[in-house]
Amino acid sequence: MTDTPPDGESPDIDSCVRIGSIVSSNSHLDYVVEVYKERDCDRPPELHEREFGQPVFIKKTVNGTEHAVIGVIYDTQLVDPDQGRTGPRLAQDDQAQFTPGYIEERTTLAGVALLGTAEIAEDGAVQEPTHQMPRWTLEVEDTVFHCPDQVTVSFHTIDEQIQLAYMDRLLDIAGDLGSEVIVALIDRLRGVLPEDDPNHRVLDVVEQNVQWQAREQRGLV
Amino acid sequence: MADRSNVVGTVAGPGDDPNEFVFVTPSDKSIKTGEFITYTVSVEGEPRSVFARVTNRELIRGLPEGFLADPEVGPETVAATLGVPTDDTELYQLTATVIGYYDTNMTTFANPRQLPDPGTPLSIAPHQQLETVLPNLGCETDSTDITTLDGVAHIGWLLNRPAEATNLHIPIEEFASTHLAILASTGSGKSYTASVLIEEMMRPSSRASLLVFDPHGEYDTLAEMQGEEAFQGEDGYEPEIEYYDPERLRVRISELEIGDVMAILDNPSNRMQERLSTAWQAMQRQESRTWGIDELIGEMERIYGDDDASVGALEWRLRRSIERNDLFHPEENVPLDEIVDPGQCTVLQMDTLDRRDQQLITTVLLRRMYRERLDDVRDRDSDIEHPIFALFEEGHRFAPASGEAPSLGIMRTITSEGRKFGFGLGIISQRPSKIDQDVLSQCGTQISMQIKNPNDQDAIKNSVEAAGEDVLRELPGLTPGQAVVSGDAMNTPALIQVRQRRTPHGAGSRPVIEEWREAYDERQREPTQSESADFGEGDSTGVQSLD
Repeated sequence: MTDTPPDGESPDIDSCVRIGSIVSSNSHLDYVVEVYKERDCDRPPELHEREFGQPVFIKKTVNGTEHAVIGVIYDTQLVDPDQGRTGPRLAQDDQAQFTPGYIEERTTLAGVALLGTAEIAEDGAVQEPTHQMPRWTLEVEDTVFHCPDQVTVSFHTIDEQIQLAYMDRLLDIAGDLGSEVIVALIDRLRGVLPEDDPNHRVLDVVEQNVQWQAREQRGLV
Repeated sequence: MADRSNVVGTVAGPGDDPNEFVFVTPSDKSIKTGEFITYTVSVEGEPRSVFARVTNRELIRGLPEGFLADPEVGPETVAATLGVPTDDTELYQLTATVIGYYDTNMTTFANPRQLPDPGTPLSIAPHQQLETVLPNLGCETDSTDITTLDGVAHIGWLLNRPAEATNLHIPIEEFASTHLAILASTGSGKSYTASVLIEEMMRPSSRASLLVFDPHGEYDTLAEMQGEEAFQGEDGYEPEIEYYDPERLRVRISELEIGDVMAILDNPSNRMQERLSTAWQAMQRQESRTWGIDELIGEMERIYGDDDASVGALEWRLRRSIERNDLFHPEENVPLDEIVDPGQCTVLQMDTLDRRDQQLITTVLLRRMYRERLDDVRDRDSDIEHPIFALFEEGHRFAPASGEAPSLGIMRTITSEGRKFGFGLGIISQRPSKIDQDVLSQCGTQISMQIKNPNDQDAIKNSVEAAGEDVLRELPGLTPGQAVVSGDAMNTPALIQVRQRRTPHGAGSRPVIEEWREAYDERQREPTQSESADFGEGDSTGVQSLD
């Protein structure tokens, strides 16, 4: 949560950590991303860089303008094709490195829900964010980048006010964990906003509402 | 119905009551409770404007309460954060009760007995139409210029409309013949409203013959009508305002009835009552109407002898209660032809009389006037050959619900029979529960203002037929100067703002603080002679010693 982009202060869209690539989708707004491992790239994401509630983005060039399609990790799943198979262990005590086969195929999948889009300016900053539903389809193997907190804040600041106007769609896609994603997003925003920012109180009210509704739905209150 | 520019809402369906329907409006069409709306139905092949009154307003779509969690964060900010549009989000569901369409033959409302279909467009009832159909004016169309009518009293305008937009003119004839009640708690404008009515009745188009029984001297500013242009007729008419102060109020002893005398004597014994009534009847049978206590006692002594103990005791009581009271006089009487005349408003100022005397003078005057009216209607010689209207400030004094008052009997008679004889009463009171129910229930027109006391509300409910539930519900919430007009003078009750008086108002509360300060300053200026004996008052040294 407190990570800074590798290049220092200003968020540079081009030097962000790659989290993974798209492998499939469940709907227009709901994609499955295979998280990169050691073998897939030079600098695979660290655990906290691909955590639950982490905003991500995918670059798309539309009509000559570079856009960032912003999303959020709302779910993760582990896939182990070997699970349930009890074959002979090939590695011996003295030969720990003999690991052929399925071990490398174990993967971590992350569910990404799309939130909105923003334009990427010449200098690599995001501008003109919109929380409307992205109309463009992403492709398989599109790279998903870690979205630095500054970009997250810029994406959420519309008319100098923090907005989460995608919330109803996100709650719908994220399902059971919807309120938790929102709370995670709000936490992240809160951490970046200055202490005396008036948006804190608004975020409080929104968080309260989401949590209360979730508790009501789950039969707690 | 192609033009929907004046449509304010759309009918959603029937309501709970048989006469109720619900409709939906967006928030920008702010329709208040009590507003009159209209829609068109076809009655016997003719399109008719049906009027309905809005009775309730509920929010059916709006921002959730959760958005209001932090008082320092506005709900629209939260809504904006979540991308919820806040423009025109609120939808209101309003309930309306059908009053009916204006039946031009019956000149009143007729219920179409048919609720509007869902989807029927509703509009605010136009001013002129309401001005025509709300009061019982008997117009032959449902939209008449009522300012051209004679004999109407402009008392104010509909509360939900802008000032003077929908003016309410009530027919004077209606409330002057079937009696009027103005009910309101102190300070909510009863005597103000009464003065507005008096002003209207004294205008050249009506020229009423008015009598005001004023126990508090609140109507002393009416005289300013004289000389005002609005009250002058083209034929040189000008209202005459006559004040009768207590010195000029006299009751001729022979006008009293035996019951009145009994009421003012201190505990007369049975024997005394018997002696007195025999002698009283004997005196009443005499030709002369100008006898006094001396003659009465002479008559008793003639019948029962000089040394009758009861007569002696009666003599003492009669002299104390009647002879020493300036109100009673063997000969003088308030001349009826002086106090009632068309175009004349007589104010009987009774503020220095005690309650018993106020009741007695009222009783005697009412009785005499009623007799004259009776004679006039029966084509006998009469001093009063025109209808009259008498207004009673503090009406519960003259027709109390509990306790004895000599005036109660004649008040009951006039309210139940007066209509036939052109004798109308107006009762003004802040305690409807303390007015005799028979009297109150006969007042055909009611102007009710703010009343919070539940007993008084019950009294109105029990005795005022026209006061529906929706009228009663309004009473506690009215502010001074606002009133509900209901009864014979109206086709349906309406909430109004009473108009400004043309003459200044004389009955407001006294500026207590100002008067205290003035009185204090006055005393400061007086030379203080008894300073040494002035313990604790500190009126001359207290302030200075603080320096």
